[in-house]
Amino acid sequence: MNLLSLINIEFKKIKRSHIIWIIIIPIVILWIPAIINSNMNFEMQAEGISPENNFFIQSFIGLAWFMYPATLVISTVLLNQTERSNKGILKMLSLPVSPTLLCIAKFIVLLLLAAVQMVFMIIIYYPSAAIASQMNDYQLMISPLIILKETGLIYLSSIPMAAFFWMIATCIRTPVFSVGIGLASIVPSVLVMNTKLWYVYPMCYPFYMITALQGEMAANFDTFTIKLIPWIPIAIIITIICLIISCLFFGKAERR
Amino acid sequence: MSLLLEIKKLKRTGFFPAFLIGAILVACFPIINTAVRPENFINQNLPALDILMNANWQMIAMLNMFFLVIGSCIIYHTEFADHAMQKMEALPQSIGKLFINKTLILIGSIIFALIIEAASFIFCAYYWFNTDNSFLPDILKYFGYEFILLIPAALLIMIIASLCQNMWISLGIGVIGVFIATMLPTDNLILSFFPFAMPFQTLNNAIDNSWISPFLISSGIQTILFSIIEVCILKVRRNIA
Repeated sequence: MNLLSLINIEFKKIKRSHIIWIIIIPIVILWIPAIINSNMNFEMQAEGISPENNFFIQSFIGLAWFMYPATLVISTVLLNQTERSNKGILKMLSLPVSPTLLCIAKFIVLLLLAAVQMVFMIIIYYPSAAIASQMNDYQLMISPLIILKETGLIYLSSIPMAAFFWMIATCIRTPVFSVGIGLASIVPSVLVMNTKLWYVYPMCYPFYMITALQGEMAANFDTFTIKLIPWIPIAIIITIICLIISCLFFGKAERR
Repeated sequence: MSLLLEIKKLKRTGFFPAFLIGAILVACFPIINTAVRPENFINQNLPALDILMNANWQMIAMLNMFFLVIGSCIIYHTEFADHAMQKMEALPQSIGKLFINKTLILIGSIIFALIIEAASFIFCAYYWFNTDNSFLPDILKYFGYEFILLIPAALLIMIIASLCQNMWISLGIGVIGVFIATMLPTDNLILSFFPFAMPFQTLNNAIDNSWISPFLISSGIQTILFSIIEVCILKVRRNIA
């Protein structure tokens, strides 16, 4: 079986998991207060940020700092528990399928679930911005180019984080630890981001990207500069190491 | 007897070591935070406990909420994982009692975490700040207040966990709840009554706004309300299943 059909099978497995609601509901919840409080965006002009930029950036910060990483953690639980309940993993491992490919397929499903959340974030942004513009008689919508670029940046920068969470989920079989480590590692990202060594901590990448943009848009905020040189190589190394470890450990306990 | 049984069930899930390690890591946070930049905190003209609370409580409260969410998921996951719940239902034992026992374990664990966190606050206060005799009674009051505000959240998350057979759904709902709580403005009284948002409130903030009794009353009402809801769920489920 090739990778494509494996991914297809993985999607069939999670068809009835209701994960889509866990992905969409926070996005809807995120935009409701943003619309209701949209008049507050005009008070932020003192910081040198225009209302339309502020409207966009506040909600995206809300997503990138906590909910998006948390969704990745929840999705790893989904991908692991669907296999482990009723010993599905044993059946998968007895098939003539390479466990490594299976592990990669699951990781790609994880990335695709994250992509679904990002796409919904963009889709819901437009009606929200339209409603808020109507309410305030002010054009709060910004160019789709910036939004696409920023969502793409958040998404790409979250791949090392996803690989890390996936490694934790495959290596640590007791769910309390794997989920606990995942969720607990999100919280200190605010602190790590302000240090010089932010690039060794993949959990803060998406948040760093969006704060860097905020610094660009707002004249009075500290600017976070994205230096590509130590960051990109280190991010790639982290991703590869995490993926190799997770492929090695995938199904190890069951294959004993 | 059945409470001991529930504790035994959790033995191999790593629940207790996870709470212990988690609580110790959380307790390290205020110490590191104060040690790295003491000049930011020591010179503030406030009681030591208020400074520590203002600087650290938001993060600690969030981690406490994660404890509750993950803990409740694990406690019920042991029942749902291999259809153990059906066996429990077949035994001559009330399912309501099962829920009470499990909730007691969760609440007991969170008390334990709060004690460790309080110990780290005491350490910070005596090491970096000038404290007087009122500090120890004060810290009891502060953490007791936080504990009372945590009870409705613990009950609610246990109800959710008992209803969802799949762990990712109860985990997802819990995490979304915490996410909503972090987005709500803390200066709005009505919105702060959201059960997951209450543990983010501190006693010094409540004193400043004279909000102590509203929060205590709301915590009491929510506790009773969630208990009634759980009783109804048990009755309805028995009639259906």
